[in-house]
Amino acid sequence: MDNIKRSLKVALHGMDERSVRTMAMYLKGPCQGVAVVVDAPSAEIDIFDGDSITSKKLLTEYLAKSSVKPVIVLSLQNVYLDNVVSVKKPVKAEDMMGALAEVKARLELAARQEIKLSPVVSEPLINKEIVVKPTLKTYVINQDEQQTTKHQTAMQMNDAALNAYIGNVPGVDVNDPAQFAMAGYNPKDYFQGYMQSAINACQEKKEIMQLHSGWRPLILFPENHEIWLDADDKQLRAFASLKLDNPSGNKMSLSPINAPLPELINTPEKLHNMDAFIWKLACWTSKGRYPDSINIEQPVYLKNWPNFTRLLITPHAMRIAALLVREPRTLGDVARILNIKPQYVFVFISAACAVGLAGQARRAADVLVEPADIKPSQKQGLLGRIISKLRGSYA
Amino acid sequence: MSQYKIIFTGPVGAGKTTAINSISDVPPIKTDAAASDMTKSRKAATTVAMDYGIMNLVGGEKIHLYGTPGQERFDFMWDILVNGGIGLILLLDNTRADPFQDMKFFLEAFDKFITQTSVAIGVTQMDVSTTPTIDDYHLQLKELGITPPVFAVDARVKNDVSVLVQSLLFSLDPGLEEEA
Repeated sequence: MDNIKRSLKVALHGMDERSVRTMAMYLKGPCQGVAVVVDAPSAEIDIFDGDSITSKKLLTEYLAKSSVKPVIVLSLQNVYLDNVVSVKKPVKAEDMMGALAEVKARLELAARQEIKLSPVVSEPLINKEIVVKPTLKTYVINQDEQQTTKHQTAMQMNDAALNAYIGNVPGVDVNDPAQFAMAGYNPKDYFQGYMQSAINACQEKKEIMQLHSGWRPLILFPENHEIWLDADDKQLRAFASLKLDNPSGNKMSLSPINAPLPELINTPEKLHNMDAFIWKLACWTSKGRYPDSINIEQPVYLKNWPNFTRLLITPHAMRIAALLVREPRTLGDVARILNIKPQYVFVFISAACAVGLAGQARRAADVLVEPADIKPSQKQGLLGRIISKLRGSYA
Repeated sequence: MSQYKIIFTGPVGAGKTTAINSISDVPPIKTDAAASDMTKSRKAATTVAMDYGIMNLVGGEKIHLYGTPGQERFDFMWDILVNGGIGLILLLDNTRADPFQDMKFFLEAFDKFITQTSVAIGVTQMDVSTTPTIDDYHLQLKELGITPPVFAVDARVKNDVSVLVQSLLFSLDPGLEEEA
């Protein structure tokens, strides 16, 4: 009972309901009940979460007032403000209890001396521009959250779907090692190459530009990293596979545009993320071939994982990424280790090269040292069953 | 039968509860109900704040999906939580003041667990705040010497969460077979 009598009354600010509950438990349990959570008007001390944007704003506004209550701020960083005691996260019970003891001593001293704690000089806590959310977001599962987002989520396809979706090159068996030499293609011969050049030029100039291709209207937005194309996937796929010969010099051109086209405003569904667009375009152009800038006898690197939630996920793409991101390997080596058809490696590497994530390894060590085979996980069976579950192979 | 779990962590509001709900076969455990065996003197002080879901596999196996209590300050529970975990899903809120600081904080906090298993990072709220970009995250991670998967994720979209978890599993073992 004595402990309860001595408990400090604290109010919590900038925390969602769940955090408030958890904090109340924390003060009662690990902090041995040195403080209890009460409503703000009854509190002797105000405790702020110092890290979320909303709570920072609350704190800044609070400190700007002539408040006489001491403040404790819980933050990932040390906070140096008058009359503010900082507790660094992750909060340890002894730190929290120490801060409360310090504040309690201040309160007792203030009571004895009948002094008013000095108002805090307002000092903005936030250096970066504030983007205030209306409230702290509390994640409650309800139907309102089942909304769609602006960007399309990834399309994940299996082996059977790939050939139907990507197509193949007549007369070449890209999976036959004897025909690997004929399994390359030059992106510059196709729309893919023009698109890559157009994106580079547009990003360099940082201007909204239209690509004049003699085909469908296409506009590039470098700032938003988006492309607007007046064609559906079926039309784009057909155009992607056409070899474009321009011996007459009738080349595609780019020109700046000042005002968005009216049809663009009315058809936002035709906007694509640039990387997702180029990735998809490269898959359709590749048709299971590899870009001829890649020497298939030499290792290839993958800079980092592609943003797969926003890209077309071709069969085994995540496995290939997981393997290549560890160390460079030849395309044949990747196919051998993963026990998959080379066409899956080729199409992946075409897309990854197109968005600048993959390329030929140039370091001498990558060529001199043969990468080791991978060790299978001891939980391989279990992990495989989780993968199957996630892909909806069975309910 | 062994108990397997995947741990979801990240700052408050990053979407841990929503992500778990997206792939769980059972409705998320209500934290109020879970508090029934706790001290009942104050309701506000009795609620256990932990996210929990289950994925049922063929043959009766269950994968337990645990979300760490949202506040960074409750790390004393983390060691217990990760014991026996398959891997870590780190969700980051791109609208927070310094998502890189959040990322480094959680990567350091779970360093031992990540070293033993693997981590995949999902960045939420990218529709609201487009920066930092996914490339920016990779640059930061490169400085830390790691190359985990980093995806833009909408925690409400099952496929996004599914792809993120798959990437975690393939990071553990690229040799995992895919269903034809």
